[in-house]
Amino acid sequence: MKFREYEAKQIFRDAGIPVPSSVLITSPNEAAPALLKVAEKVVLKAQVDVGGRGKAGGILPANADNITSVAAELFGKTIKGLKVEKVLVEEALEISHEYYLSITIDRSRKMPVILFSKEGGVEIETLAKERPGALHRVYVDPSFVVLPDFIVRNVIGDAPKEIGKIVKTLYAVFLTKDAVLAEINPLVMTPKGVLAADGKIILDDNSLARQGISENRDLAPREAEAEKHGFSYVELDGSIGVIGNGAGLTMATLDIIAHYNGKAANFLDVGGGANSDRVMYAVRLVASMPGVKVIVVNLLGGITRCDEVAKGIVAAGISQPVIVRLAGTNEAEGRLLLEEHGYKMLDTMDLAIRAAVEVTQ
Amino acid sequence: MIYAGKNTGILVQGATGSQGKFHINLMNEYAKKIGSAGVIAGTTPGKGGQEVFGVPVYNSVVEAIEEHDIGASVIFVPAGGCGDAIMEAADARIPTVITITEHTPVHDIMRAITYARSCGTRVIGPNCPGMLVPGECKLGIIPANLCMKGDVGVVSRSGTLTYQVISELTSSGFGQSGIIGIGGDAIIGQTFSEVIDEYHADGRTKTVVLIGEVGGNLEIEGASRAIELDMPVVSYIAGVSAPKEKRMGHAGAIVEGGEGDAASKIERLQILGIPVATRPSQIPELIREVR
Repeated sequence: MKFREYEAKQIFRDAGIPVPSSVLITSPNEAAPALLKVAEKVVLKAQVDVGGRGKAGGILPANADNITSVAAELFGKTIKGLKVEKVLVEEALEISHEYYLSITIDRSRKMPVILFSKEGGVEIETLAKERPGALHRVYVDPSFVVLPDFIVRNVIGDAPKEIGKIVKTLYAVFLTKDAVLAEINPLVMTPKGVLAADGKIILDDNSLARQGISENRDLAPREAEAEKHGFSYVELDGSIGVIGNGAGLTMATLDIIAHYNGKAANFLDVGGGANSDRVMYAVRLVASMPGVKVIVVNLLGGITRCDEVAKGIVAAGISQPVIVRLAGTNEAEGRLLLEEHGYKMLDTMDLAIRAAVEVTQ
Repeated sequence: MIYAGKNTGILVQGATGSQGKFHINLMNEYAKKIGSAGVIAGTTPGKGGQEVFGVPVYNSVVEAIEEHDIGASVIFVPAGGCGDAIMEAADARIPTVITITEHTPVHDIMRAITYARSCGTRVIGPNCPGMLVPGECKLGIIPANLCMKGDVGVVSRSGTLTYQVISELTSSGFGQSGIIGIGGDAIIGQTFSEVIDEYHADGRTKTVVLIGEVGGNLEIEGASRAIELDMPVVSYIAGVSAPKEKRMGHAGAIVEGGEGDAASKIERLQILGIPVATRPSQIPELIREVR
């Protein structure tokens, strides 16, 4: 789950990483009072979760004379499809140099990596591609609960020492927040010292509960509803509803649909131990999506009981056809129950998927 | 022997939970059928002295190894305690630890895998179905009825998709020298290349089936390793049409040296000369071609 800029900066501030002074507002009327608290010259920054926010007009300078009208302009905007609902009123900075600093996880090495560049403020992907030498990488043994000084020295090289303290603190934030990314871009040199001018933190979705977060707000409403039932669910734009167990098998189901020139309406992984209630809910959820003409159920597993799955499909009682491929225990009972109620059960996933694609053509 | 063999005594951590109990029973049914050691002990803190299907349960791994000769552990403990369970097994110097649990916090797993390595313990998983060597041993949840003894070594990041592939292989007459699920998470213990090393050292594998997914570049590392070892590989990568994987921001994509999407992964495998199936049912046909 992603934290927005204002949330990341609050976390930085609490941890002791210097950030520009700022106030978060939710309407244009709050802008002028906020400016009085912050500085004479400010920037208004839309709190929307998109890349390239500045170029898209999401960051505007303002002063005491024009602040209310600039704020009204920003609140009226939609940036890359997202409506501006929160704005950060932040002091305008006198910047003499920009750095890049982030900490993330290297999957191959199975350890955290600190990325640092003396050329910050640019698109970091562009920098990595065009001038890889300018992006410095230092790997950290995950056993360290405090970042050792020698690693800090290796990260910053001859950059100002106060950046070293920020590296150390950012690493502490990375660990205590169970983050998979903690990024400061740019980290800026100003007459007041080094400040985190922008910030981004992404949390590990498997650690939200112990971070005291009950709901992953990055999920769309139907996805969040599905998550409560323990499903992984993503909506697509085709007409073939998909229910599978296991992410790999469900992805393979989507791929085979595409192979036969069909279009999947969704990805739904019911997870392990699907009983009749869960299957019923999954079938109804997928059937409720507009444009779904047929549903293919592809469940496989030693412990999945086919009679339970069949009961769930029958109980869902939806109007669209359901084509079923089931393998597991009590297969014969499941098949009998489905056939009694007029559902098709096919022997292989290829056959089931092809039959579903034919319905839509 | 691939990680574990016929005489390997198995410990189950999280033995008294519903998953632990259920799978101790299945593992030992298979062990009885083929005459292997099977699960000989379990642990759950606070439940020492109980029995699960005749298997004694201890409070800790240390207590269990005092009484039994244990060569591998299978972990079913809930996600929050999983990293701790891996470290407990590694601390007791159990050589192989297989972690079935899913939704484990990534920082816990990084720390546990690093500690395990320093103890000489190899971790498989988390979020994996475990391993099965037909006729020798079953550690985890792979359905034994789908498998058949043979010379195809399966290594996979998936669970149920692996079962799909095994049943395609078995019904085409290709038995397996091993089936190893390495797990679908961003951070996992044993990777494709390490498992391929095991298959190579064991010497009973003629062809490797490498089943991958979107994300990361472990499949490419594994395929390159197999080529170095002169082992024929066929592959299947799930997720060509899947929605874009949730990425770890821009920095994550850079570290991975690419976006790790299925299409570019398939292209890189093909450049290495590895046949890639467009659907699982095509795998047996590709094996025939490389033999």
